[in-house]
Amino acid sequence: MERRNFLSMGVVAAAAILMPTTGLMATNFRETKAKAWDAEKSPEAIKAMFGDGELIPTDKIKMTAPKLAENGGSIPIRLKSDLDIETIAFFQDANPRSATVVFSVPEGQKVNYSFRVKMRQTAYVTVVAKTKDGKLHTLNKEIDVSIGGCGG
Amino acid sequence: MAKDMKIKAKEKNGVVNVKVMFTSLMADAEEAEKKKIKPEFITYIVGKSNDKVVFEATTSGFMSENPLMKFSFTGAKKGDELEFTITDNHGKTETGSKKIK
Repeated sequence: MERRNFLSMGVVAAAAILMPTTGLMATNFRETKAKAWDAEKSPEAIKAMFGDGELIPTDKIKMTAPKLAENGGSIPIRLKSDLDIETIAFFQDANPRSATVVFSVPEGQKVNYSFRVKMRQTAYVTVVAKTKDGKLHTLNKEIDVSIGGCGG
Repeated sequence: MAKDMKIKAKEKNGVVNVKVMFTSLMADAEEAEKKKIKPEFITYIVGKSNDKVVFEATTSGFMSENPLMKFSFTGAKKGDELEFTITDNHGKTETGSKKIK
């Protein structure tokens, strides 16, 4: 009996050692920060993703986005910055859940990303970037979405 | 699941400019219900060149359909292979690669 117990303990220990080695190559934020993807509003999502750190407004990150989007199904967004950014995330308040995309910037690369998002209504979008020194930088912008594409 | 991905990569003065389009409906739970389809969206994209990660993004269903990404990176030259791997919400993965021009 004692031997059996001892063996099963060994298996558990081996599993515990093996666990952290999976996914060492890269960070999939859907696995590590699962909570952030269920948050409805940006502040909650940002908290779940980046923790309680102070958000510093910045002008060193440039976001190019239309002021008025005629097609809410495809809004082009461009993020550009020369800061040493580790992680940059994009949140919006227009959809049922806030988190949209999180980029982990590989070592030595600069932020220069273009992508397109869906928004159901006029809302604020927020970008939060974590730099290498652990500071959180943020900027936001309101994007008008005209439903029906009348452009008014 | 995505059928193919289109990759365009061009090197100029040491900077590689990449345009990549993935095929996916990008339908989150609510949208899928409306259209009466199963939710399907890409959750994770990773791009590698010379065994180094050059692009990494975790996405949700609120990206537009057939997401188009543009980005640039340094540290690769003409003729190098650029490889993308995407994972969708069902855990399926797909890989595509292209040589940098």
